[in-house]
Amino acid sequence: MAIKTESAIEAEIKAIFSDNSPWVTLVWDDPVNLQSYVTYVFMELFGYSKAKATELMLQVHNEGKAIVSTGSREEMEHDVARLHEYGLWATIQRGDLA
Amino acid sequence: MGNNSTRGSRLIMAATQGFKRHGSHSYVITLDSAESGVLINLCEQLIELLSERVDHGHEDPLAAMVGITSHDSPPEDEVLHRLLPDAYADQVAASEFRRYTESTLRQKKEAHAMSIRMALKSSPEGDVELDHDGANAWLGALNDMRLALGVRLKIDNSSYEHLELLTPDDPLRGVYAVYTWLGWLQESLLEALMSEVD
Repeated sequence: MAIKTESAIEAEIKAIFSDNSPWVTLVWDDPVNLQSYVTYVFMELFGYSKAKATELMLQVHNEGKAIVSTGSREEMEHDVARLHEYGLWATIQRGDLA
Repeated sequence: MGNNSTRGSRLIMAATQGFKRHGSHSYVITLDSAESGVLINLCEQLIELLSERVDHGHEDPLAAMVGITSHDSPPEDEVLHRLLPDAYADQVAASEFRRYTESTLRQKKEAHAMSIRMALKSSPEGDVELDHDGANAWLGALNDMRLALGVRLKIDNSSYEHLELLTPDDPLRGVYAVYTWLGWLQESLLEALMSEVD
């Protein structure tokens, strides 16, 4: 039992120091961007199907935000930069805080 | 998210048909001179606004060359802030990211606006033919124009009704008409891009 707890703590500590902990890219609702445009940008930048892109767009619209991609911090910074290029309101954060 | 009123666009321009797909990878439109003039003007204003963030006083030429700027705080101008937004809620992380990426983002937005301006300047008849990359550049620049006008018009999810009721002598009415026309133009390009090839 004690050993198990110890290894769990070790895993926690490892995760804290590891760069592999997941980060996410969030897209926030914006009163200007058209629904069809947001859908198109998701398809174009992430290669999502029209169905998946539409679902994410509706989640942004109805819930105020949606996670559009997950990965390393570096990958998320790349995604956010491209979303900003096309005028979407996007931010990066730690996956466990999203 | 924005919904697009077509009423505003009818106020100023009804001549143009919007973008049409031509073949499998080409998108065409013919704009009249008034429409071209409005777009060229907006492109130039956008480019001028973005140039306010050019970092003239950078002390390290090598840093400037690889796109690192000394800008680590967001633009004070509300429109510029919307065009060059923060990537992190955390201000320290946002500043660091901005220092390394803002000038690249600004240059991409300038390039998008420039591609509309070039296309229209080189076609006095207003005939424009875009490939896929060109269409994406137009979409990005049209969107930046809408974002900029949207900030000035204080567009929010409940403001459309108010804007529809502006009196004819209100200067914002003309701005709103351009805003809705840009949305209509953007939508027509999106429809052309998303339509299946016959």
